[in-house]
Amino acid sequence: MTSNPSPLNISRFAGCTLTGALSVTTQVRDAVTIIHGPKGCTHHNFSLLHATALDNDSVILPDLVSTGLTESDIIYGGEGVLERTLDAAAARPVSAIFVLSTCIVDVIGDDVAAVCRKDRNVPVIPVPTAGFLGGTFQNGVNNALNAVAQTAKPGVKGWCVNIIGEKNLEHEVNENFAEVTRLLTALGIPVNLRFLHQCSMNDICRLGAARLNILRDDEVRSVGEQLKKRFGTPYISSYPAGLEGTISFLESVAKKFGVRSSRAVRDEEALQDDLLAGFNDIRGSSITFDPAHNTSESFRIASKVAERIDITIKTHSGCRVPPELSPPVGTAGVRRMLHRWRRAIHA
Amino acid sequence: MVMKQIALYGKGGIGKSTTSANLSAALSLQGLDIMQIGCDPKRDSTRMLMHGSFIPTVMDLVRVRGEAALSLSDIVYKGFNGVRCVEAGGPEPGVGCAGRGIIATFQLLEKFGALRGDVIVYDVLGDVVCGGFAMPMREGYAQDIYLVTSGELMSLYAANNICKAIKRLSSRTKSTCRLAGVICNAKNQPSEEELVSEFARRVNSSLIQFIPRDRVVQLAELNRKTVLEYDPDSVQAAHYRSLADRIMKNTRFTIPTPLEIDDLESLAIEYI
Repeated sequence: MTSNPSPLNISRFAGCTLTGALSVTTQVRDAVTIIHGPKGCTHHNFSLLHATALDNDSVILPDLVSTGLTESDIIYGGEGVLERTLDAAAARPVSAIFVLSTCIVDVIGDDVAAVCRKDRNVPVIPVPTAGFLGGTFQNGVNNALNAVAQTAKPGVKGWCVNIIGEKNLEHEVNENFAEVTRLLTALGIPVNLRFLHQCSMNDICRLGAARLNILRDDEVRSVGEQLKKRFGTPYISSYPAGLEGTISFLESVAKKFGVRSSRAVRDEEALQDDLLAGFNDIRGSSITFDPAHNTSESFRIASKVAERIDITIKTHSGCRVPPELSPPVGTAGVRRMLHRWRRAIHA
Repeated sequence: MVMKQIALYGKGGIGKSTTSANLSAALSLQGLDIMQIGCDPKRDSTRMLMHGSFIPTVMDLVRVRGEAALSLSDIVYKGFNGVRCVEAGGPEPGVGCAGRGIIATFQLLEKFGALRGDVIVYDVLGDVVCGGFAMPMREGYAQDIYLVTSGELMSLYAANNICKAIKRLSSRTKSTCRLAGVICNAKNQPSEEELVSEFARRVNSSLIQFIPRDRVVQLAELNRKTVLEYDPDSVQAAHYRSLADRIMKNTRFTIPTPLEIDDLESLAIEYI
């Protein structure tokens, strides 16, 4: 909980499994997602995905279909209406159909997986969800990633990495990806697949072709483990967090590929020094975070950055700066954080 | 006269529907306006009152025709001696949510103003498995709950469990639901009447009627009739008439005190 209910403070990752899974499946451009449940569950999620995309400066109309469960379906069981909806979706030119379920479906015991097993001309991929009964937003994300991963087959590994479990709903999803790409480019390593961000079912076939998987953060570790088991791909469990984290990220990726990191590290350290020098105007200031965030990893990283430019973090009396909901990614993430501090200090 | 709403609960197969149908028949023969509502997807509560036919259920009608197209006359059927019969219905075994079906039926009956007459008899499925099957005990519906049980331990166990539901519901503010008595539908075990009577006393209630096992019940059923219709002069018919009398005169409505399983078992052992 945060004390200040501003949009900045509201987590985009506190929905149920359905929202989590949708943040993954709606990234597959040529697939449709069926939500087995009442219309409202689809409506709210559609609105959320649409509004979030708009807020991130893109217009995405997710391809969602609701089974539109009514009271009568709930009393008599909803497997029939799911079957009809699946048949209708299979008649469309789509490459895959994802099937997600809502709370009520689990309450009445519809066997979603069994309905999905029927042979159709399109792959039907049920994602274990069941609304909040199936767990958290993150469980939904992980279950969706694991379900999609089942469609790819092991292949020959090339000189490249996959990005696993991007937070598609976060404001800075593309900036963060760009930062990681920049660091990888410094080591001469290209990205094979963003698993999953704006791709097609065909792209997903390449999932097994990377030498290393880079997880967005530790919350998708179970996906990293599953991919390791299935494709033998090792993983790094998080994006680079903060200044020191960026350096160690370069070192660990280089190590996994057996390349030298010294030059990339030296360049990055110089870049970081320049960055900090650019914020001399706020040296010596005092800042205060929302107390709810004071124990988080992002707070720890923010504190280290503050220390390097003589900024004091006070519990109450400092200039109030926006909280870091997740640790700043790479040197660029730290730059954006410092800009936010500067705006608050000079306001 | 104030409308009386009574509900019969008890273990599956203990004879709730048979008892309900015969009770409704006996009450109607007193000249009362009776409505019997079967609250079980098996939909066979009112069959003996309807000469063996299965009437269309409320849930099936809603599903096929839609709620808007229905009127009261579509869901209420006149059976033996003018007893008005309703079956809630529900899903096929193993799918959907029967409890929700009961709730939806009650909402529809309310909407149609169907809940009227001198006595409404609710015949409810085996156990109070979920909130839906507690619906008849909720505010505005049955105030008088009767437990149907034999002297067998499993049947007493189910009755005791239902006491827990009644206790919970009756302790709510403004709740009018009370345990009104225990009906012993006997299996002809030795000391059965004494055992069930003592059980009733221990759960803070009383044995309202002992109904012995009698072949005439099966004969009546094979002839698709209640005992009251098939053989009104039989001893069994007299038992059902007595049950109807006692229910109409009953003034003892209590909040039950369910037993612990150990106490229930030792009680059963005492009467072996």
